[in-house]
Amino acid sequence: MKSRPLMLWSLLVLLHGASIAQLLDPHKLLEAEPTDTWPTYNGDYSGRRFSPLAQIRTSNVSGLALTWMYRVKVAAPMRGVTNPEIKSTPLMVKGILYFTIPDHVFAVDARTGRELWHYDWVDQGGHLVGNRGVGMYGDWLYFMAPDGWFISLEARTGKERWRKKVADEKMQYFTTMAPMVVGHHVLIGVGGDAIDVPGFLEARDPQTGELQWRWNTEPRKGEPGSETWPNDAAMEHGGGMTWLPGTYDKDLNLLYWGTGNPNPVTAGQGREGSNLWTCAIVALNPDTGKLVWYFQASPHDTHDWDNVETPVLFDATIDGKPRKLLAQAARNGYFFVLDRTNGKNIISKPFVPLNWSKGVDASGQPIPDKAKEPTVDGSYLTINWGGGTNWMPPSFNPQTGLFYVNATRGYSIVYLTDASDEPEGYGGFGQPLWSQHVLEAIDFRTGNVKWSHVYTTADGTQGGNSGPGVLTTASNLLFTGDYNGNLIAFNATNGDILWHFPALHSLSNGPETYILDGQQYLVAGAGDTLYVFSLVQRRP
Amino acid sequence: MNISTRSGLAAVFVLAIAGALGLAQSDESSENSSASAQAQKQDGQRALRTREFLGLGRQPDHQLASKGEKIFGPTCGFCHGADGRGGTGPDLLRSALVLDDDKGELIGPVVQNGRPSRGMPAFSALTEEQVRAIAEFLHMQVELAANRGTYRVQNILTGNAQAGEAYFKGQGKCYTCHSVTGDLAHIASKLSPLDLQAVELYPEARSYDFGGTHPPRQVTVILADGKKFTGSLKHLDDFYVSLEDEQGQYHSIAITKGVKAVVEDRLVFHRKMLDHYSDKQIHDLTAYLVTLK
Repeated sequence: MKSRPLMLWSLLVLLHGASIAQLLDPHKLLEAEPTDTWPTYNGDYSGRRFSPLAQIRTSNVSGLALTWMYRVKVAAPMRGVTNPEIKSTPLMVKGILYFTIPDHVFAVDARTGRELWHYDWVDQGGHLVGNRGVGMYGDWLYFMAPDGWFISLEARTGKERWRKKVADEKMQYFTTMAPMVVGHHVLIGVGGDAIDVPGFLEARDPQTGELQWRWNTEPRKGEPGSETWPNDAAMEHGGGMTWLPGTYDKDLNLLYWGTGNPNPVTAGQGREGSNLWTCAIVALNPDTGKLVWYFQASPHDTHDWDNVETPVLFDATIDGKPRKLLAQAARNGYFFVLDRTNGKNIISKPFVPLNWSKGVDASGQPIPDKAKEPTVDGSYLTINWGGGTNWMPPSFNPQTGLFYVNATRGYSIVYLTDASDEPEGYGGFGQPLWSQHVLEAIDFRTGNVKWSHVYTTADGTQGGNSGPGVLTTASNLLFTGDYNGNLIAFNATNGDILWHFPALHSLSNGPETYILDGQQYLVAGAGDTLYVFSLVQRRP
Repeated sequence: MNISTRSGLAAVFVLAIAGALGLAQSDESSENSSASAQAQKQDGQRALRTREFLGLGRQPDHQLASKGEKIFGPTCGFCHGADGRGGTGPDLLRSALVLDDDKGELIGPVVQNGRPSRGMPAFSALTEEQVRAIAEFLHMQVELAANRGTYRVQNILTGNAQAGEAYFKGQGKCYTCHSVTGDLAHIASKLSPLDLQAVELYPEARSYDFGGTHPPRQVTVILADGKKFTGSLKHLDDFYVSLEDEQGQYHSIAITKGVKAVVEDRLVFHRKMLDHYSDKQIHDLTAYLVTLK
């Protein structure tokens, strides 16, 4: 089991290592916690967004000051959305930042903020709801255009190498994911839920873009799992999108991915059953795309609660035994801890109040309450309509043992608008009533919230679509943002606020940190602007 | 902040409801247009916005689509269902050919030539205009399923008005602050049942069409030395509070140690109640409130 990925890596290095020095040394992607580079969406394969850097500390963080800002200059408003918003986590490789907004890729000098190149795509459709960034392999970048195009660029110039059509925007697929490089595979997922299309995850060749394998988020006729659908038509149109990057364990050689909600989205009466493998965490073999195990977070979801939130990987000792774990704060309001070798559940506990489930079954999977599915006259939920959290990256700090997530508490009513036997599309909608954003620090051993911070705001009800991500560091710092435009540093142990910076917009991506020329930097995307911070005085 | 007296609560609840009404009208220029015409206009805007966001292309022509519906039913409905969602023949709303079509250029040839290999006969007698109308009908059907901005709530008045009245006057304690002849008089002629059902639970519920502007709140800021500022709240976060006082003077104050910002909270009781509603109570209450014409 262990030899195979290592063999692949050796081959990779042989193929590419001999040529001129590459921008991204493939081994960087296997380093547990890289500090001089940010080579992939989550910074490393674990999804922890924890940095061992400690130059910026609780004692000096108040001296953190703006080094430069870079504002994207594109036509605004963008179609169907408002102004451009940086939701991508930039890659930082050899002093250059690579980041995206829908239809655009930018390369910027990490020392100065000067633009090196800008790739501009003209879309023919697809949602401009967001773009999570690029993937990198050697000297090549990978980007998803919103209308189903998978594009490779030369990292040095921004010149297009090739493009592959991977999804049909006319079928309402849209593509926003940051491609994820694992070994000799580039993994790409899709979004789309306006028309009932099936979800999938693909591995493509880094050099040519050709398909290596495709894993479908629904079984095919007669396959295991097909018994969780009432008929073939429902299964073939069952949704289950794969729009956020997953995580990877190189020792187990397993890829972990969250799958989206089933379709029709809020009208579940035409798809009775648990609807595998939607709203699940799955473990796949990255070389074959074969399913190894699954854990379904929301069997038969009817609330649009994609389960794509980052499956975060870490090891810990439980009852005296070393365990390989996976934790997720799910959009359905549950915090899960699983054994990532086999998917067996350890913790399932709500991190926000909720009434859609009647508890969990013997396998730790929540049991949906049929009475809380959307109804024609309105079904009352004691959870925010958008869910307990969303795509915004959480963080796990192994030193505090806490899992940090920007959560939302709230209340809503959900309506069914297509009450026919075989509904199509969404088939309903939710009415938000009251909600409140709160940063939560969850003890992974118990699922209990150890501390939380309710973001103070003028409104009893808080708006905001883009969620702020979280970063933690070895110096007991937590970086995130509120919904009022403030970037904030917290003490990760107790939630005390140590620093803040009023930006022009609220934090819209996951913050990151790295060391460059001996100096630790903090990078945050807020609205159309990238902000880079460092300590005013260098360390003596 | 806590307002301790009952009369204080009653006063602010009236304000809150009035605020919700103001919200529902603020975005429209014609004050005297009827609530239903306004609602229609808002619905249309929502549909357009959603269509643009989804990248669904051009908006289907209602007139042409309804012409098409009359032809589609008897001609195609036998196999594809009267709504195009499939029968013995395929579901056309999920058809790549239909979704790729713009104005009948792809659908037309299939209708006129048929697909003999798949058992679909040719409908060569149909004129180009008729085929174009059929195509438009299908695009409209796609619009109604795929564009969630077009969704309309159906009958939500399933509750028992009498039980709702009893809840209003009893367990729900609505009467403590509200009066059906005072602040709530004629509320049903001002709000749709859907909006009523939202604001009865939380008066500042953000509707689909309005971004959550609220009536101004009063704030009192108490400095460490006991000095006080009172006025209309402009901004509040973890770090700063700003307000405009009675003289129109703007103040921005850092929330440092010892500084307290106390915001008037008119909806504290509504928030407490959010943990206590059942679906039946909600529907009964709505059924009662809609009688307040």
